[in-house]
Amino acid sequence: MSAHAGAHATAYPEGTAAAAGLACCHVCRKLAPATLHECPLCGSALHLRKADSIQRTVALVITASLLYIPANVLPIMTTNQLGRPEDSTILGGVVLLIHHGSYPIAAVIFIASVLVPLGKLFAISWLAWTVARGHTTSRQQRTRMYRVTELVGKWSMTDVFVVAILVALIQLGGLLSIQAGAAAIAFGGVVIVTMLAAESFDSRLIWDRLADDAEDAREDVREEAGEDAGAEEEYR
Amino acid sequence: MPSPPSRTACVDCDLLVRIDGLAGGERATCPRCGSVLTARTEDGWTKSLAFALAAAMLLLAANLFPFLSLQASGLEQVMTLPGSAVELYRGGYTTIAVLVMGPIVGIPALIVATATALLIPLRRGRATPWLVPAGKLLSFLGPWSMVEVFVIGVLVSLVKIGAMATVVMGISFWAYVAFAICFTLMITSLDRVQLWRDIEACVA
Repeated sequence: MSAHAGAHATAYPEGTAAAAGLACCHVCRKLAPATLHECPLCGSALHLRKADSIQRTVALVITASLLYIPANVLPIMTTNQLGRPEDSTILGGVVLLIHHGSYPIAAVIFIASVLVPLGKLFAISWLAWTVARGHTTSRQQRTRMYRVTELVGKWSMTDVFVVAILVALIQLGGLLSIQAGAAAIAFGGVVIVTMLAAESFDSRLIWDRLADDAEDAREDVREEAGEDAGAEEEYR
Repeated sequence: MPSPPSRTACVDCDLLVRIDGLAGGERATCPRCGSVLTARTEDGWTKSLAFALAAAMLLLAANLFPFLSLQASGLEQVMTLPGSAVELYRGGYTTIAVLVMGPIVGIPALIVATATALLIPLRRGRATPWLVPAGKLLSFLGPWSMVEVFVIGVLVSLVKIGAMATVVMGISFWAYVAFAICFTLMITSLDRVQLWRDIEACVA
């Protein structure tokens, strides 16, 4: 990935901001010459691409996967009904809901707590792997996959909210009370860390590797980019 | 005053796209990857500000009245949003209290306040010293509000508790649902490219 840092004038595909020597500020979306280190409008650090995107993404995906183990093994809550404590895990809760016949709710919890986080971890890992391997196929689908991954992430928080509501609401002493388990915190951690992993992945990397037949076309574009560079002189 | 930017780079694939021909209410999508680049507002943020003010009042109401109440075997327990935070804290669940109250009350409140402080001077084209910091705060906080997720969480817990006890939805519950709608409409109307274009025009 570090190859991108030095030779940015030539390494990016035609028509992109990076090929024209422009960086798009990740906070305010202003286009500014990449030679500036700070955005001239909002003062945020300017990068052509997110720094160490793949390394950070992989590290965060590993962290989230590790947190996912206690989140599923430990109890997410303990129900005390008439002095009988009963632990339940995330999957145990889904099974219980199915036994009670609450299929729609069981589906909501299963999607939010199992499908979304696991799907997200697989999707980000796969995207990071294809970018690291330099794949040039199905870029549009991969970009769409990234966008969906970013969008659905926070919905995994549903079960943590449910536990918090039950704990806060159901405190009827010896009759019925609910305690939260350690899995609630671990699972909250999974949600936050996967959201950070999605944020650290730079989907522009999907488009950066040129297909071989584009090599010739690049020469012409660089001449056009020269005009742009001239126009940007006014900024400095 | 600099002319408004005629081009933008797609956040998802970095393609340079011209956006200067955009009329009010139109939106531009990236011809290469299909992402929405920007949507031009029609009314100079009037709608966004209206949603922000409505959201502020509804969030206040959601914190003042009973949210849910529980009846089982002659016992009744009333829960308010701030009360549940206190309850979680007293029960030793400080982490869960922060993990839950942050994304559903704290961060959304901060977002609404920031958006209001930003949109009022922006609508009049007045340069105030906090325009740029407020815009940055808004961009930074955006992904961390989970208002709509919480509404689903409440509905799920209603069904779960329904098996054990009777639950009654309070005024605050309905206020929160209305808040969630206004908040979501406000967020979707705050286009980042357009917002910063206007901030730039003000501060320059």
